[in-house]
Amino acid sequence: MVTEPQAPAANDPYAQYYVVKKGDSLSKIAEEFYGDKMLYPKIFEANRDQLSDPNKIKPGQKLRIP
Amino acid sequence: MRSLNARWIFVAVALLAVACANQKEPAEKALAQLDSVVASVRDDAARYAADELQGVEASLSGLKEKFGKGDYKAVLAEAPKLTAAVDSLKSTVAQKKSEAEAAMAAATTEWNALSADVPRMVDAIQSRVDILSKSSKLPKNVSKEAFDAAKSGLESMKATWSEASAAFAAGDATTAVAKAHSVRQQGNDVLQQLGMKTG
Repeated sequence: MVTEPQAPAANDPYAQYYVVKKGDSLSKIAEEFYGDKMLYPKIFEANRDQLSDPNKIKPGQKLRIP
Repeated sequence: MRSLNARWIFVAVALLAVACANQKEPAEKALAQLDSVVASVRDDAARYAADELQGVEASLSGLKEKFGKGDYKAVLAEAPKLTAAVDSLKSTVAQKKSEAEAAMAAATTEWNALSADVPRMVDAIQSRVDILSKSSKLPKNVSKEAFDAAKSGLESMKATWSEASAAFAAGDATTAVAKAHSVRQQGNDVLQQLGMKTG
């Protein structure tokens, strides 16, 4: 379930984050933030430090939304 | 009798000449000293106390004119008043210069913080605008009007930030800080238009 974006991190006050909920997918998050689920690679690329597969995200993961 | 009068006149003129000669040197010294002190403070005074400097310059010019006419007595009589005015001018310049330097130091410190913050804000907005520009449709919380406003707002932010950076490079930290605040305020509006959280 997609909800409101989380408060920005302290080290970069303008970085936007989202904490993954049960049932989320990158395409669903992309549709919420960008209006277009096909833009999910943008989120995947911004989170390569913690994601190795765009189809594998876990609840509780804090993703950066560029 | 006529010879006696002529002698007295000669004596009086001689005494007057001696008196004048006695006053010329101190008057000359007083003027030179005033001239020197005014010269030493002139550049700063022109920047920090222009009106006061103008008054002092006018008085100094008047004294020089009197000296040129041989009115040394008047020069000596008026020199202390002008000396006091010059001292006051020096004091005003020192105070205003100190205030300006403190303001510049504070503005420089503030600029350092802003110059780390504002570019990150611009980058975050630019990134989101670039992505939304590729989107087949906008997210629910961003209208087309808001997106268009955000795009033009971003361009305005970048232009104003360039002006701020140029002002700081030119040594005008106060203007740079004012412009940087303007960019940040506009950035907060743009972040809202894009449905993003502000810093």
